[in-house]
Amino acid sequence: MQIIKMVFSNPRYLLLACALFSSMFVGLLILSEFIFLEPYVISHLPPGTELGFALITILSFLSALVIPMNIYRINILKSSKQKMGGGIFGSFVGAIAGACSCGPVGFAVISTFGSVGATATAFLTNYETPIRIIAIGILVVSYFTTVRSLGMECRLDSRG
Amino acid sequence: MAVKWILVGLVVIAVIVSAAITIFPQDSNLDPTRQHGDISTAFGSPILGSPDAPVTIVEFGDYQCHQCYNWFHNTKPAITRDYIDTGKVNLIFVDLAILGNDSRIAAQASHCANDQEKYWEYHDHLYNSQLPTIDGGWASKDNLIGFASDLGLDVDLFKSCLESNKYSGRVLTNTNEGKSNGVAGTPGFFIVNSEETSDLISGAQPFIVFKHILDDMI
Repeated sequence: MQIIKMVFSNPRYLLLACALFSSMFVGLLILSEFIFLEPYVISHLPPGTELGFALITILSFLSALVIPMNIYRINILKSSKQKMGGGIFGSFVGAIAGACSCGPVGFAVISTFGSVGATATAFLTNYETPIRIIAIGILVVSYFTTVRSLGMECRLDSRG
Repeated sequence: MAVKWILVGLVVIAVIVSAAITIFPQDSNLDPTRQHGDISTAFGSPILGSPDAPVTIVEFGDYQCHQCYNWFHNTKPAITRDYIDTGKVNLIFVDLAILGNDSRIAAQASHCANDQEKYWEYHDHLYNSQLPTIDGGWASKDNLIGFASDLGLDVDLFKSCLESNKYSGRVLTNTNEGKSNGVAGTPGFFIVNSEETSDLISGAQPFIVFKHILDDMI
């Protein structure tokens, strides 16, 4: 908790987290057809889609938490950029799982890549929920790894 | 020389007519001139509801699309209750079978059911039986024949229709009609009356969206 306070006491990281959460949350809700922009801006939560909504919320929250913490680590501690990989990868995997299905993105992939695109779309659609759960798992692991290493590095930094 | 060209012309015409008969087989339910706005619905479903209704919803859908399933279960019942059953609106389903191999065969199966005048019963049975896996086997040929049996169709007739692929051209034509009208995802809807066609309504949108547009157009 102290690490979170330390990172997000800087308004730049708080702003980044808010921007990441809102863009990812709204983007995924649009792709997953919880929000429509045309012909009217409208949101709805149809019965049977509660789990998908919950996974999108968790995924967006964790991405907004982990990515700014990793950027803080790079900026403040001059740590390796490679250590950011887990957070970015988790967010990316979680996002693409919901991007396909029968919406315009899936159709564009199928139209562009033919049978290979259809296979990829089918895979991402069939395993959307497990892929999102795995992405959340990656982000949770990435969070604890980041908190632990930030704690160690900050102690070392304060001793130095 | 002229006779030769006449013969060549006759052969070409014969080939075109044969191809047309093969691709679009004789269908007593088919109206080749049926058009709603700019959309040709000639090879789509029979009309659900009153043919005289002032407004038509044209739905482009895929039987394996989960959002089509959501629309079928969450939005369509209210539209049926308030607009179709009251004669204000009718609905036509046009195949946009793109998600997988089983999408195409399921669409063909719906037209085979139409041969026995059970299109809409079969259509509903498909959406009630959909599982959330694309090409996962729920719409395999064997299961599609099983669905026909569930509905009391003549299974031998249905099976021979499905195995002949007689409606593959019709499904392809419908899919191309959707693409040419800019439908880039399923379900996609146009609402048409005698004067205008709505913009594309993309996705499994809630009833309130349709209510708003339908009330404006009736």
